[in-house]
Amino acid sequence: MTAVTDKPVWRVIDTGVRRAAENIALNRALLEARQQGLAPCTLRFLAFEPSALLGFHQSAAQELNLDWCATQGVAIQRRITGGGAIYMDPDQMGWEIYADRDAVGSAQMEHIARRICEAAAGALRTLGVAAAYRPRNDIEVDGRKISGTGGAFDGDALMYQGTLLLRFDVERMLRVLNVPADKLADKALASARERVTSLEQLLGRLPQREHIQQALTRALAEAFGVEFHPGGLTDDEQRLYAQALQEIDHPDWVDLIHHPADERPTLEASRRFQGGTLRVRIAWDAQQRRIRQIWFSGDIFISPRRALIDLESVLRDTLGDRVEQQVLGFFADRNVDMLSLRPEDIVQLLHEAMDVQA
Amino acid sequence: MMDCNGCEFRPELYYDDQYQIWVRREEDGSLTLGMTDISQTIAGKILHVRVRRPGTERLVGKPVATIESGKWAGPVPNVFDCVIEEANTSVLEDPNLLNIEPYEAWIARVRPLEGVDAALGVLVTGDAARVGYCERTQREDIHCERGAR
Repeated sequence: MTAVTDKPVWRVIDTGVRRAAENIALNRALLEARQQGLAPCTLRFLAFEPSALLGFHQSAAQELNLDWCATQGVAIQRRITGGGAIYMDPDQMGWEIYADRDAVGSAQMEHIARRICEAAAGALRTLGVAAAYRPRNDIEVDGRKISGTGGAFDGDALMYQGTLLLRFDVERMLRVLNVPADKLADKALASARERVTSLEQLLGRLPQREHIQQALTRALAEAFGVEFHPGGLTDDEQRLYAQALQEIDHPDWVDLIHHPADERPTLEASRRFQGGTLRVRIAWDAQQRRIRQIWFSGDIFISPRRALIDLESVLRDTLGDRVEQQVLGFFADRNVDMLSLRPEDIVQLLHEAMDVQA
Repeated sequence: MMDCNGCEFRPELYYDDQYQIWVRREEDGSLTLGMTDISQTIAGKILHVRVRRPGTERLVGKPVATIESGKWAGPVPNVFDCVIEEANTSVLEDPNLLNIEPYEAWIARVRPLEGVDAALGVLVTGDAARVGYCERTQREDIHCERGAR
């Protein structure tokens, strides 16, 4: 192969729709191959048969509706990346970067995530949606998430992956994930729709897969100053894949971490204010005394409306005793109109919910 | 004194050649290991730590522990064959300790399979380690920051 430019050449590969175990085993194999210098830096596109994917340190009993997954034939798997549980099916496109810290221009995880997410958001903008990076790990359009991301590292090698919602079946997602909401109530559906969107919903049509892949490839090539050439798996990767599949396509891998569901209670509180009612639900880590996820709802007046959803994003993974500082810091940085409701009222509401646990 | 971009170095400890982990020799023939100031800085705020069960044998390349920070997950690398003896329960309960005091917040105590001297033989220590440690911070422009309570 003759290179026509001086730019480093990275590989682009599309592994098609696969079982979750195969996709995760490929994650492990390609990352190991990169770490051992046996494969080039790579952009991989992938898709999943219907699957519920746990974050690496999560427990299936806490995160998923296991009975429903079993009756619907939704596979359960554990990712090698961090973050929360997600539902994947062929209506979502996966994209992944395999590289070294050197090649992405930073040693620090947070910087690497930002750089990759900003490039991916840029790609979505060329498709006609106003996508932006929302720290730490989301790509959003007008406050609604369209792509979630997460990473894995092994020494100097890293893999960063994202999902892109092409279509979005909110009811199916709520049924798979153990979200503390009255799952099938209209309110829960509406509240999920307020937080998540899809390419089809935004554009009124679904661009061709190849077109989306080209946009992502171009944006990432530009961001990292590289050129992508199509390629396949190397022999070493095939060997590592076979080894990884043995471990990952096994109940022991899925059950690697098990915590009983009652160690993650849902805390709730609600209050009437002058401008309406504000309600909060918290998925609480009782061991670490930390918010894992948080949802606000109610008819309180707040403008812009997305401020509450942005606050949810900021409060994720916050220790109970840091909540006040986070909430006050959030409002100090923004211009939010809440009528007579004060940031301190929100702090008080959160403390009320968490005090049940004290 | 060499500038390590604000990253703390402790000459009495032993390190892998990338300065990802530190190792301390204990009187009973075991080794204690943890993450360096460089590693905790690179990782950012650590949310989860998992250590393999005591009694588990871990060969080179098979991690003793895994960490997660801001949706990144990965191994605390293992550079000698060992058996895990104990995990630091304070760190398991409050992983943020790794960001606050990386050299006090040890992760695991292990027993090297080939003996302590063989294990320490693959590590670096003292002034030579200080040079390599500082070089890495400068080469990769790593500026250490500690977590807060």
